[in-house]
Amino acid sequence: MQALAELKEQIRQALPDLDVVIGWQQGFDALHTRPLFIRSEEDIDKLVVNEFCVVNPASYLRELRGGKKVGLVLKGCDSRSVIELLQEDLLKEEDLTIFGFGCNGILNHTKLQARFGELGFIQSIENDGANVTVVVGDNKETVPFTELCADKCLTCVYPNTLQCSHFVGEESTKKPESEKNKALEEFEKLSLEERFAFWQDQMRRCIRCYACRNACPMCVCKDHCIANSREPKWLSEEVDVQNNFMFQLIHVMHLTGRCVECGECERACPMDIPIMLLRRKMAGVIRDVFAYNAGTNAEDTPPLMCFKVEEPTIEERH
Amino acid sequence: MRIGVFVCHCGSNIAATVDCPAVAEQAKKLQDVVFTTDTMYTCSEPGQNEIIEAIKEHKLDGVVVASCSPRMHEATFRRALERAGLNRYMLEMANIREHVSWIGKNKERNTVKAFELVSIAVAKLRNDQPLYANKFDVTKRVLVIGGGVAGIQAALDCADAGYQVVMVEREQSIGGKMAKIDKTFPTVDCSSCILGPKMVDVSQHENITLYAMSEVEKIEGYVGNFDVQVRKKATYVNWDNCTGCGACMEKCPSKKNVDKFNEGISTCTSINIPFPQAIPKKAAINPEGCLMLQKGKCGVCAKICPTKCIDFEQKDEIVTEKVGAVIAATGYDMFDHSVYKQYGAGQYPDVITSLQYERLMNASGPTGGHIKRPSDGKEPKKVVFVQCVGSRDPAVGRPYCSGFCCMYTAKQAILTKDHIPDSDSYVFYMDIRSPGKGYDEFTRRAQEQYGVQYLRGRVSMIYPKGDRYIVRGSDTLAGTQVEVEADLVVLAVGAESAKNAPALAEKMRISYDSYGFFMEAHPKLKPVETNTAGVYLAGSCLGPRDIPTSVGQGSAAAAKVMTLFSKDKLESDPQVSRVNTSRCVGCMKCAATCPFGAIKEVTDRAGNVKAEVIETVCQGCGICTVTCPQGAIQLQHFTDNQILAEVNALCQAQVDF
Repeated sequence: MQALAELKEQIRQALPDLDVVIGWQQGFDALHTRPLFIRSEEDIDKLVVNEFCVVNPASYLRELRGGKKVGLVLKGCDSRSVIELLQEDLLKEEDLTIFGFGCNGILNHTKLQARFGELGFIQSIENDGANVTVVVGDNKETVPFTELCADKCLTCVYPNTLQCSHFVGEESTKKPESEKNKALEEFEKLSLEERFAFWQDQMRRCIRCYACRNACPMCVCKDHCIANSREPKWLSEEVDVQNNFMFQLIHVMHLTGRCVECGECERACPMDIPIMLLRRKMAGVIRDVFAYNAGTNAEDTPPLMCFKVEEPTIEERH
Repeated sequence: MRIGVFVCHCGSNIAATVDCPAVAEQAKKLQDVVFTTDTMYTCSEPGQNEIIEAIKEHKLDGVVVASCSPRMHEATFRRALERAGLNRYMLEMANIREHVSWIGKNKERNTVKAFELVSIAVAKLRNDQPLYANKFDVTKRVLVIGGGVAGIQAALDCADAGYQVVMVEREQSIGGKMAKIDKTFPTVDCSSCILGPKMVDVSQHENITLYAMSEVEKIEGYVGNFDVQVRKKATYVNWDNCTGCGACMEKCPSKKNVDKFNEGISTCTSINIPFPQAIPKKAAINPEGCLMLQKGKCGVCAKICPTKCIDFEQKDEIVTEKVGAVIAATGYDMFDHSVYKQYGAGQYPDVITSLQYERLMNASGPTGGHIKRPSDGKEPKKVVFVQCVGSRDPAVGRPYCSGFCCMYTAKQAILTKDHIPDSDSYVFYMDIRSPGKGYDEFTRRAQEQYGVQYLRGRVSMIYPKGDRYIVRGSDTLAGTQVEVEADLVVLAVGAESAKNAPALAEKMRISYDSYGFFMEAHPKLKPVETNTAGVYLAGSCLGPRDIPTSVGQGSAAAAKVMTLFSKDKLESDPQVSRVNTSRCVGCMKCAATCPFGAIKEVTDRAGNVKAEVIETVCQGCGICTVTCPQGAIQLQHFTDNQILAEVNALCQAQVDF
C-alpha cells in the first residue's frame, strides 16, 4: 500500500493519547499476517497493510472494553463490526480512534491452497489488483484476483472504512462482482430436505472447538456463552450432529440483525465448514424484513433491539 | 418434593371428552407426585377444601390443578394454597378445558393431551420457587380520558367520593356525541337538558381538573403510580382570562370554516365557541382558517377582546400529572359513509347522516330546530331513513351491529312527524334490534302511532330525479323491489372505534380488537376492567353503547377505581424479571427492548455497567429475557430452567390410555 507511510505517520501522532493501536504485522511467512498491538513508537514500523490482512482487528475489542483508548486500523468490512458494537452500546465512540483506508479485497488461503497445494511451496506471490501471479517451483501462474479472493469481497459494497477518524490514501472504487453470494444462491435452490441433509452432513464434521465463536467480533457473552452454561443447561457436551447444529443455530440467532458478515467465523473454522451460509441467509432475511444492513450507521438502532408497535416494512393490518 | 395433582371434571365440560380419572391415575407415575384425584368442580368450596386437606394430609409442597384457563381461576387456587399454608406460587395449572376439551372431540386423544399438559405442569412445578410480593404506595388520583357522558359520569362519581380527577378531552368542549343529540330515546328527553347540568358539575367540582383541547401524550408507570403527560393544544386564546363573551366570534371576518360541532352542515368563524352550553365556555382559534395565523393580517379578535386574551404566539404545552388509575372513555366515531358510492353520500346534498339530521332537528343547531333540506332550505315532506350503513356489512369491514341505530332512527322518524305533521317517513331496515327497557314499545309506537313505514331490506341505490331522490331497495317481506321518492335521505351510519384508539391503547398498554375497540379483561365478569392493572374502561370505546349503558359503565369504572383507592398499599406481582449481575455485561439490550421502561442502568462497585429491573414497573412480559444473550435476566416463575423442564416433559414418549 502506497499510503502506508502516511498511515504510520498518523498512528505516530495519535499514539501518545492511545493505550494501544491494533493493526497487522507480517506473519510466519509472506502469505500470512498476524495481529499487531502497537504500544510504543518502535512497534509502528512492524505495521503492514496488504491483501493478506484477513484478521478483523475488531475481534479484540471486547477484551479492551472499559475506558481504554483504542486505535484500530480497519478495512471497510471490519469497520462495520465496530459500528455495530457502537450501536449496541458495547463501545464508547470517544474511546476509539479509527484509521481507515480503501480496501481492494483480501486473498483466501483456502482457495490458494486448493489451487496451488501447500502454501509453504509458494515462492512468491504478486497482486496487481486484477490478477495474482503465483510462482510455485518452476511454474508461474497468473489467476484473476476474483478467483482467489475471499467470498465476502465478491459481494462487498463497503470497500472503504465507514466512519473513521483518519483516512489514508485514495478511496477504493471497487464494485461488487455480484449482488448475491453465489453459494447462497445455489443453496437457496435446494429443497428444504436437501438443505437439511446438507447441514446434517456439515455438522457431522463440526468439532465444537468454538473457534467460530471466539473469532466473532459480535460474540460478547464472554464467559457466559450459553453453549457452556450449566444454569440453565441448553446444550449437552456431547459432540454429535444434533448438539453441533443446535449450537450453530443458537449462534446464528444471536447474530440476527447484528452479523456484519466479516467472515471471521468461517475463516477461523479448522474444519472449513461453510457457516457463513447460515449468517448470510439470516442477514438476507433481516434485509428483507426490516430493510436493515447491520453495522452501517452508528445512529441506527438494530431492528431487534427496539420495540416498535408497527414496523414500517411489515404490513400487519389491512 | 411432594406434589398433588387435581383433575377437574368441570361438570361435563371437561369430563365429557377427557377421561379425567384415567389422567389422575396416570399422573401418579410422574416424578415427585404423591397424590392425585379427580373432582367434579375443583373451584367449588368442597373442591378447594379437598386441596387444602390433601396438602395437610399428604404434606404437599406444590399443587397441580388441571382444569380451566388460569385466567379464570388461578387466583382462586392460589388463595386456596395460601389458606393451607403453602406459598401461592407453588401452584401450576394445566388448561385442559380451553386447550383440550373445548377444541377436540376425540376422547382418547384428548385424554393423552390432557395428561401431557399435566406432566408439563408437574415438570414446571418441580422447578418452581416460592415468591413473595412487595408492597407499594398508591397515588389516589384518577385520570379520565374522554369527556363524553361515560367519562363525565366516571369523573363525577370519583370526585364525589373525594378523589382528585384529571379529565382530558380532545375537543374544545366536553359533552361528546351526546351534546350534539337533540332528544334521547325512548323517553324523548332533551339531551342537552339532562347532560348540561352534569357538564356544569364537572367544571364546578373542586376535585376535577379539566384539560379540554388536550390529548394524552404518554402514560408511564404502573397501577397506583402512573405518570401521565398531557399535551394541551394551542388554542391561541388565553383561557385563564377568556370569559366566553363571544365578541370575537361576532367580528371575525373569516366565516367559512367547517363547523365540526354541527357535523359540517354549517360554517363557523375561525375563532369559535362550539355551542352555547360548551364546557369550558372558552373561544379557540382554528389555525387553518385564521387570517392572522395563515397570512399575518387581521387580528380583529385581538382588538375587540375585552380581556385581551388572544395570543397568536401560543404553543402546545405539555403538563405532567401523577395518578393512580386511568379510566378510558374515549367513545367512538361515526362510520365514513362515503364508501357507499351507490348511496351518493357526500355527493348529493340531501343524502345526510343521522348525526347531521340530529343537528338539523336540534333547537341549538344551525337551523334553529327547523328541518330544512341542505340543498334548498325547503321543508322535506318525505324522508327516507336507511339503516345499517356501515353496520352488519362485512363488505365494508363492519360485520358487527352498532346497536343503537335502530333506536335513534325510530326516534328521528317520530320527531320528524312532530316537526312536520304532514310528512311521511320510510325506514329501510334489516332487523329491528331494540332490547332495552321500553325500547321495543318505542319502535312499535313509531310504526303504529306515528305511521312510519318500515320496509325490511337493504337499499341498493339512491339517485337524484329532479330535485328529489329515488331510493331503490327491496322489501323482503313482500318479496318485491320498491322505489321511494324522497325529499331527504338520512343514512343511519354505524359506530366505529375512535380514530386514534389503537395508538391510545398502546400508550395505556391494553389490548384492542381488530376494529380498534378496547378489550375488557373478561366479557362477562370484568366488563370495565382491562388486563393492565389500574386501567379501566367505560362507554363506547369498548364497542357501540347507548347512553344508559355508557353511564352505567362510567359509574362501574368509578367504583373499580374507588375499590383500588380504598387500600393504602398495593402488592406488587413477584412474577417479574430479575438480573443476575455476575452474568450481565451491561449491553442494556434489555432496556432498549423493554416496552414498559422497567429496566434501568446502574453501576456496580467495580464500575461496571449493569442492568436493574424496577420491580413495580415490570409487567413480566419476558421480552428482556429472550433479548439477553447471556441469559442474565430471568423472568421469575418463567425461568429458562422452568420452561426447559416443560419442553423436556413434552418430548417424553407418549403414554397410551
